[in-house]
Amino acid sequence: MPDDHVPDPSPVPIGNPQADPTTRISLRFEDWLTVLSLAALACITMANVIVRYLTSESFAWTEEISIFLLVVLTMSAGSSAFVRRLHIRIELLADGGSPARQRRFALLTDSICLLFFIGLTVLLGRMALDEFNWGDTSPAIGVPTWWYSMWLPILSAVITLRLAGMVRRAWGAVR
Amino acid sequence: MIASLLFALFVVLMAVGVPVGIALGGAGTLAIALANPDTHWFGLMAVSQSFYAGLAKYPLLAIPMFVLVGSIFDRSGVAARLVRLAQSITGNGPGMLAIVAITVAMFLGGISGSGPACAAAVGAIMIGAMNRAGYPPAYSASVVAAGAATDILIPPSIAMIVYSVLVPQASVPALFAAGMLPGILAGIGLIIPSVWLARRHNMGAAARLEPRPPFWRSLFEAIPGLAAPVIILGGMRMGYFTPTEAAVVAVFYGLFIGIFIHRAMSWRDLFPIFREAGELSAVIMMIVTLAGIFAWSLSTLSIIDPITNAIVHSGLGQYGVLTLLILLLIVAGMFLDGISIFLIFVPLIQPVAMAFQWDLVWLGVVLTLMVAVGQFTPPVAVNLMVSSKIARIPMESTVPWVLWLVGGMLCSLVLVVLFPQIALWLPHSLGY
Repeated sequence: MPDDHVPDPSPVPIGNPQADPTTRISLRFEDWLTVLSLAALACITMANVIVRYLTSESFAWTEEISIFLLVVLTMSAGSSAFVRRLHIRIELLADGGSPARQRRFALLTDSICLLFFIGLTVLLGRMALDEFNWGDTSPAIGVPTWWYSMWLPILSAVITLRLAGMVRRAWGAVR
Repeated sequence: MIASLLFALFVVLMAVGVPVGIALGGAGTLAIALANPDTHWFGLMAVSQSFYAGLAKYPLLAIPMFVLVGSIFDRSGVAARLVRLAQSITGNGPGMLAIVAITVAMFLGGISGSGPACAAAVGAIMIGAMNRAGYPPAYSASVVAAGAATDILIPPSIAMIVYSVLVPQASVPALFAAGMLPGILAGIGLIIPSVWLARRHNMGAAARLEPRPPFWRSLFEAIPGLAAPVIILGGMRMGYFTPTEAAVVAVFYGLFIGIFIHRAMSWRDLFPIFREAGELSAVIMMIVTLAGIFAWSLSTLSIIDPITNAIVHSGLGQYGVLTLLILLLIVAGMFLDGISIFLIFVPLIQPVAMAFQWDLVWLGVVLTLMVAVGQFTPPVAVNLMVSSKIARIPMESTVPWVLWLVGGMLCSLVLVVLFPQIALWLPHSLGY
């Protein structure tokens, strides 16, 4: 029998088929952070299942690390998703009309995002500083909570810088 | 005053194309600052705290894991073998390929939990095959998009995980069980109009000459794929795994069959797959956590109670309110994706549902069904966008076909609304 039995699945496009916008710092940085934290999350959870079945013990303390990785994953992949314009939005008005109009809308929406993340970075920084001053320790592992929360303003600053780059490019395109 | 400003600002931000999460978070932040002019930092520390608290939640871990399952199984070569098996059962009569596309999409719905990913996997195989068999591309794209929409009803479902995060009284296993029969009903609601359309327009004449694939060999090759939902749903049902653990077991199982059994992907594909899944989940989780800021400002402005009271005592009765709600959500669904709709509307709908003593699990299924319809209702239809791109046709050209399918699925929605037992029978008899 000829081996044409299994249909040849046409290749499914992986990821965003459009080329990434050129950025001064390569998006590979966020991509690696995303891939590594997601892979670590999968491995930790899988290890938890295996250990529980082999030893009927569970290591609950991994939950704390998983939550931390979840935060890192969201912030880093959220950052590259801004640059690749993957975040969900209503495109009806912003992506209609002439290219010049689209560029003006891009400048407007990117600036609003930038303003929001500047504020959020400051607030998250303040929150991490509070946690540092209070000196609480985490419930499961017992490390200071600011070890976790200090990464929030840092990752939020990464998003802010990406958005600043987008605004700069949008400004250049409008002028 | 501040409340109307909150909503007005939110609507304006959304309309100009600001990402949903930023529109929610930005409007919420401004409302908090205006409501607390005299307090320390204008009360804005609540913004960073609810951002962190909204993100650092263990139940959210289910989202990236199920997104990853979907991304992996889409490329594991499972879909192609399931199509082969379905074809060996249905043969090549008129409209049979449409049945194949819908049933395979439904079956993949038992593995992955997001519609557009399923539309890409099924569309990549079925749209080409249906073109060769003589179906119009616009029809094929409509059928694939609609079939993939059942994905978020048939467990596992990312939309339902998000609903459970918002409404903790409705547990994930109960929602998953409740989605099963309505999901199958929705599939039947799609199969009937698709076959009728195919027969009326005499489509697929070219396919009748093709040989039927041999049944036993197709079955044998499809076994690894057929086993996946058994592992996920069976493992959860038997209490072996929590939903998150079931997802992670499916991740490793999918990688194993994709790389070693079907050899449809290589180690080098892992990086783009993980990156794509990571970004997709981040887009969802970003909205979830930023919507927390919006919800917090709503709760401190104490405007939900008066609105709820006004709705409950409006004299419309519960079916009147439900009808209005469905119409409102269908309109919203034309412009927004399902998860954003949940995050915006569920905090407002939940108190109304409590007042009318609606079952929250049933409500979750009804809302998910509406979101599923929205996934293939133009002008904004995520699934239809994916399948039209694969079929290389403009999305507008699908309208004459897809509206029949929208009608079919709305009939299933009406049945689930009128007979809540369709959704609730399975979770009750399983004891959730």
